[in-house]
Amino acid sequence: MAQAPRCRGVERQARQKFARTILNTPSVQVCDSTASMIVRKFGLRQSRQLLALTRQTPISRRFLSTEFETPVANPATEVQTPPKETIVPSENPLHEVVQASRTQKTAEAEAWGRWVGQRRKFNRIGSEVEEAYDPEMVIRSPPRPSDITLELLLASGTHLGHSTSRWNPQNSRYIFGIREGVHIISLDATAAYLRRAAKVVEEVAARGGIILFAGTRKGQKRAVVRAAELAKGYHIFERWIPGALTNGQQILGHCETMVVNAVDEKLEEFKRDLADRPSVKPDLVVCLNPLENVVMLHECGLNNVPTIGIIDTDADPTRVTYPIPANDDSLRATDLIVGILGRAGQAGQKRRLEAAQEGKTTYKPITAEQLRLDPFTGVLPGSEQKKQF
Amino acid sequence: MGKINLTALRVRQTALSQFASGKIKQLPQWVDVVGAIPPSETLIRTPAPQHQLVRQRLKTLPGSSKPRVVFEVQENTRKPKKASRLFKPVELKYEEDQLRKEFFRDHPWELARPRVLLESTGKDFENYDWSRIQQPGKRLDGESVVQRQLWLLNNVPDITKTAAYDIARREFYKLRLQEDIERRVAAEEAEATGANFGPSYLEIGMDLENQQYEKWKAWAKTEAQIFDQRAAALSGAPEIASEAEPEPDSFAAEAEVVAPVEQPA
Repeated sequence: MAQAPRCRGVERQARQKFARTILNTPSVQVCDSTASMIVRKFGLRQSRQLLALTRQTPISRRFLSTEFETPVANPATEVQTPPKETIVPSENPLHEVVQASRTQKTAEAEAWGRWVGQRRKFNRIGSEVEEAYDPEMVIRSPPRPSDITLELLLASGTHLGHSTSRWNPQNSRYIFGIREGVHIISLDATAAYLRRAAKVVEEVAARGGIILFAGTRKGQKRAVVRAAELAKGYHIFERWIPGALTNGQQILGHCETMVVNAVDEKLEEFKRDLADRPSVKPDLVVCLNPLENVVMLHECGLNNVPTIGIIDTDADPTRVTYPIPANDDSLRATDLIVGILGRAGQAGQKRRLEAAQEGKTTYKPITAEQLRLDPFTGVLPGSEQKKQF
Repeated sequence: MGKINLTALRVRQTALSQFASGKIKQLPQWVDVVGAIPPSETLIRTPAPQHQLVRQRLKTLPGSSKPRVVFEVQENTRKPKKASRLFKPVELKYEEDQLRKEFFRDHPWELARPRVLLESTGKDFENYDWSRIQQPGKRLDGESVVQRQLWLLNNVPDITKTAAYDIARREFYKLRLQEDIERRVAAEEAEATGANFGPSYLEIGMDLENQQYEKWKAWAKTEAQIFDQRAAALSGAPEIASEAEPEPDSFAAEAEVVAPVEQPA
C-alpha cells in the first residue's frame, strides 16, 4: 500500500529532474520526442488546474516530516524559449498572419502575458478579509460619545501611561495599577471623564460657542482638523503663538472676523463694525497635549476660558478644567478622543441649527445695536461727533 | 511655585465674580454649562485599587465525590503598608504571568515569531473559547498555550500545573507540525502550477560566499606574484626573476636592482 505511491513519486521526481536538465541546456532546439513532450507538458501546467485537465493526483515528494526539502527555484524556466515547432501550412490564410505576429513577441513579453493572465484568473480566488483594522476609520468616521466602550478604549491603547518614575502623584486617582513598570490608567475613569468632556463640548456647541481644538504633536494634524470640521470649530496643529490670547490684537489682528446670523449665514453689512473690535476669544479649548501647550493653557487661565485636556500620568491635571485621563502619546488614542469630542460638537451644532430653524436660540443673541456700539466708549460711533456740534 | 494652581478649575466662579464686579458686561455662554456639568474633584486622593492574585481550581475535597470550585487567594506575605503608601498604585498580577514566563523560558524562539498586537474593536476575546487551543481569527502562538493551560487549570478537576502544561503543549506541537506540513504542501502545489520562489536563502548565501572567494582569489594571485618576485630577487635566481622583469645583463646590474629592496628591510 505504501510502496506504490513511493515508486510513483520517485518516478515523477526523476522525470522532473530530466525535464529540468533539458530546460537548462541552451540547445533545446533539437531534442528527441520524449523531451519535447515533457517541455510542452510543462507549459501546459500553468493552467491545468483551472482547465480541469486529467492529471495525476499530486504526490508529496516528502513522506517523512524529518526529511527536509527546500523549494528549489529554477530561474531558467521563466524565460525559456519555446521549442520550435514545425509549421504546417494551413488552408486558412489568416493562420499565417497570426503566426507571423506571434513570432514577433519576445520571450519576456510572453512570460509577462502569461503572468498577467494567471493573475487575472487567480486573483478572484481566495478569501476576502472583512474585518481588517483601518487606521483611517477613526479619523474619517469617529465614534459617537454613546459608542464609548471600555473595549474600544483598551483597543485604542488609552490605558497606557508612563513609566512609574515619571508620574505626577496628582493623577493617582486615575491610575489602576502598575504593569511592567508602567502605570495603567483606569479605563473606567477614562470613559467617565471622556463622556463628561463630550457633554461639555456638545453643550457649548449647542450655545454657539467657539471651540478651539489644539493638537500640536506630529501626526495629530488630520484628526484635529477633522474634529474641528465636525464641531464647526477651529483648530491649531502647529505651534501656539504665545500671546495669541493675551496679546490678541497684535498677533491675530490681521485675521478675518465675521458676523453670522442664527443659521450661520454671513452678514456682510456688519463687516466695518468689526474693524476695531478686540480679537475673538474661544469659549472652549480642547488640548491634546497639555505638556507642550503649557503657555496656551496659562493664557486660557488668564482669560478665563474653560479647557479640556488629555492628561497622561506625567501631566498636571490642574492645568485644565476638564481632564481626560488617557494616553497622549498614542496617535490612535488621541485620534479617538478628539474624534469623539468632534462628534459631540457635531451633535450640539445640529441641535442649535434645528432650534434656529424653528426661530429659537439656545443662547442670548447679540443685537445689531450692540454690534454698532464702539467697544471702547460703549456708544454709537457717530454720536460723539453729534454732541460736539 | 509649589502651590496648586486652581485657575482652570475655578473658571465659573471667576466669571461670576467678574460679572458681579462689572469687569465683564455679560456672562459667557458656557457659564451655565460649566455650572450644570461641574469639573470633577481633581485633587482628592482616593485609596489605590488593591489587586490580589486569585486562582480558580476545581478540587475534589475529602469527604465528597463531586469536585467543587475553589478560589485560592495569594497570601500577602509583605508587612503592612505605611499610611502614606495607601494611595500608591500597586502592581497588577495575574495567574497567566507565571505560565507565560515558563512557556517562553522553555520556548524562547516563540518570541521571534511575528504577532498581531492590534485589535480593531477590542472584542476579539468574545469569540475565543479555550476549551480548544485553536481560535477563529487568532494565529496559534505562545499565548494560545498559556490561555489553554489556564482554562485547563480552571476547569479540569484535580489537575496539576505541569499536567495542564503538558496537555496544552502537546496540542500546540501537533498543530505547529500540521502548519509546517500545510505550508510545504502549499509551496509544492504552487511550484507545480508554475510559481517561482527565486533562489533560496542558502543559495543566496552561497553566492555571496563565492563572490568573496573570487575576490580573495584575485587578491591572493597578486600577493603570490609579489612574493615570488621578492623571493626571486633575493635569491638571485634569474629564471624566476625574469618572469616579471627584463633580464639583467650582468651581476652588477642585478645588484643595483636589489639594493632598493634591501634598504627598507
